[in-house]
Amino acid sequence: MVELRGSHAQAREHLLTGLFGTYGLHTLDVYRRHGGYETLARALRELEPEQIQAEVKASGLRGRGGAGFPTGTKWSFIPKDIPGPRYVVVNFDEAEPGTSKDRYLVENSPHLLLEGIGIACRAIGSHQAWIYIRGEYDGPYGMLRAAIAELRGAGILGDRPFDSDFALDIQLYRGHGAYICGEETALLESLEGKRAQPRSRPPFPAVKGAWGRPTLINNVETLATLPWIVRHGGEAYAQFGTEKSKGTRMLSVSGNVQKPGVYEVELGTSFRTVIMELAGGPPEGREVKVFWPGGSSAPVLTGSMLDTSTDLDELARIGSMGGSGGVIVMDDSHCIVKAAARLLQFYAHESCGKCTPCRVGSNWAVRTFDRIQAGRGSAVDMQILDRIQASLQGGRCLCGLGDSAGWVIDSTVKHFRAEYEAHCLSRVCPTGECEFARVEAPAVA
Amino acid sequence: MRSADGALSEEALAEIRALPARFPEIRSAVMPALDLAQEELGYLTPAAMAQVAGVLDIDPGYVEGVATFYTLFHLQPVGRHHFYVCTNLSCALRGAYQICSHLLAQTGVSRFGEVSQDGLFSVEEVECLGACEYAPMLRYQHAYHYDLTPAKIDALVQAARREGAQPAAVAPPPSGTAPVPMVGPSEQGTPAPPQVAPPRRRRSAATRQEKTDG
Repeated sequence: MVELRGSHAQAREHLLTGLFGTYGLHTLDVYRRHGGYETLARALRELEPEQIQAEVKASGLRGRGGAGFPTGTKWSFIPKDIPGPRYVVVNFDEAEPGTSKDRYLVENSPHLLLEGIGIACRAIGSHQAWIYIRGEYDGPYGMLRAAIAELRGAGILGDRPFDSDFALDIQLYRGHGAYICGEETALLESLEGKRAQPRSRPPFPAVKGAWGRPTLINNVETLATLPWIVRHGGEAYAQFGTEKSKGTRMLSVSGNVQKPGVYEVELGTSFRTVIMELAGGPPEGREVKVFWPGGSSAPVLTGSMLDTSTDLDELARIGSMGGSGGVIVMDDSHCIVKAAARLLQFYAHESCGKCTPCRVGSNWAVRTFDRIQAGRGSAVDMQILDRIQASLQGGRCLCGLGDSAGWVIDSTVKHFRAEYEAHCLSRVCPTGECEFARVEAPAVA
Repeated sequence: MRSADGALSEEALAEIRALPARFPEIRSAVMPALDLAQEELGYLTPAAMAQVAGVLDIDPGYVEGVATFYTLFHLQPVGRHHFYVCTNLSCALRGAYQICSHLLAQTGVSRFGEVSQDGLFSVEEVECLGACEYAPMLRYQHAYHYDLTPAKIDALVQAARREGAQPAAVAPPPSGTAPVPMVGPSEQGTPAPPQVAPPRRRRSAATRQEKTDG
């Protein structure tokens, strides 16, 4: 068995991860022995949908997938008066570079997610949920499949779960390797068997989502928080965190740290605590040069900004974002241009091709970075990069992927202009890293 | 079994015929169907894509459009042992490119996307696989392999060579056993690998879509 890297024991702020590490927690039996599914039973038998929605609103919970949109508000967009099926769709297409929290969560406690899904179904009156799981997640897929089978066997999924008259079913759907499916309308396209290209909105998924039906799409961690909120009350959850960012969240810390892992922290905790204490800081003798506070799409912050809070609004205020909770740390032995170039390859590869700024801009950026890294950069390339990032940002693209690519360029140039200039004007790499030959320059789609 | 023209078996076609019943609309069955086809043939042959289109009564161009969009569908043959190596930032910062060089050298694969001359290996560079706390890592035989070192790569490649003629797909953990889906290098395996990979049929239950009654 592999070592658990992250939060996994009882602690005040371990609302989700407190039981992680318990032997056999992934089985229905052990999960129920620790109070599992009591909250779902209550939600189905005693609580009205409005009461659940009210608790979630009171909790102040904000989506943990990336945008940080208030969950209660998102739920309130689901129309009450449209007859026929409506769906809960779970976004388990975790593919933001540096983000592994949802995998960690499901591997430790698949039933925590499933119970949360049940509660969400009850809250919006849906009898059918779909879990869209990325195709590479073989392990979590197998665990969810086994857990769902257990629930069917126990009658918790079926026509009368817990003797209520609220039928419940959960199905799994595998993705096939496309980052864009994390964008909710692209995910719906994929679920419908199409090329995953984002839809233009309106109509929003709440009204016209999967197969044209009202659909609620939430992230894995968001849904897994529901059992705690409904059990202890929204007010109790709101005791955690800051004024605008309530509760706790799971941060996956990776890169140049001594103890990479998935850590659940109270929102408002500083990145210094997360990176230097929980994750053990950079290797001996190294300094934090830069970190991505919320996945590769979040504009970078420098090592001098470690005291920044994980509060979502605070991050937005200084021009970054909480994003997906993937904290990537890079120490001072690594080259910022090389890192940015690698990320642009990612965005170019994952661009779905539907809108022009993203399709053309990301690939143009890759070619520019290639030139710079080959030692053929010039002042013109700095201008080109600047023009590309400006054209990618500001709502010019159909979804956030284009903006994200733009932010990588914008934020790394802003904080490390001298290093870019060294590459482009003096044609040297201050860290010496760009001297290393690449295995192969991957073809860009 | 695999036929000369890369067509699907009757058995696979029967499974594909049963797929649409699970979804509100028939198109949702396209990806699970292509999944079954790829599991049987190793990659998506033009004949197989046409068969999927025929069985589901969908335009063949549409099916091909879906197949070409998603990274996990292969439109060219891959080696019997196919490695997906993450080289995105979290892994790159911890030596993923050195791991790639070593893996390419050990498997005799000349570059990403190509198959080694003995047909045994291919290596694909992929984007973040969501196991960043275990970087550098790769995906192989439906399992993740963590904290890669050249020694671990050697062990994987040697085990793959030993597996020889009948490489059973390494299945993910059976229902409800291990909480963490990590499979180490397989220690069993038979010696004396043949030089040419035989047609394969590597289909494990875990790679299939869940069959449900809902």
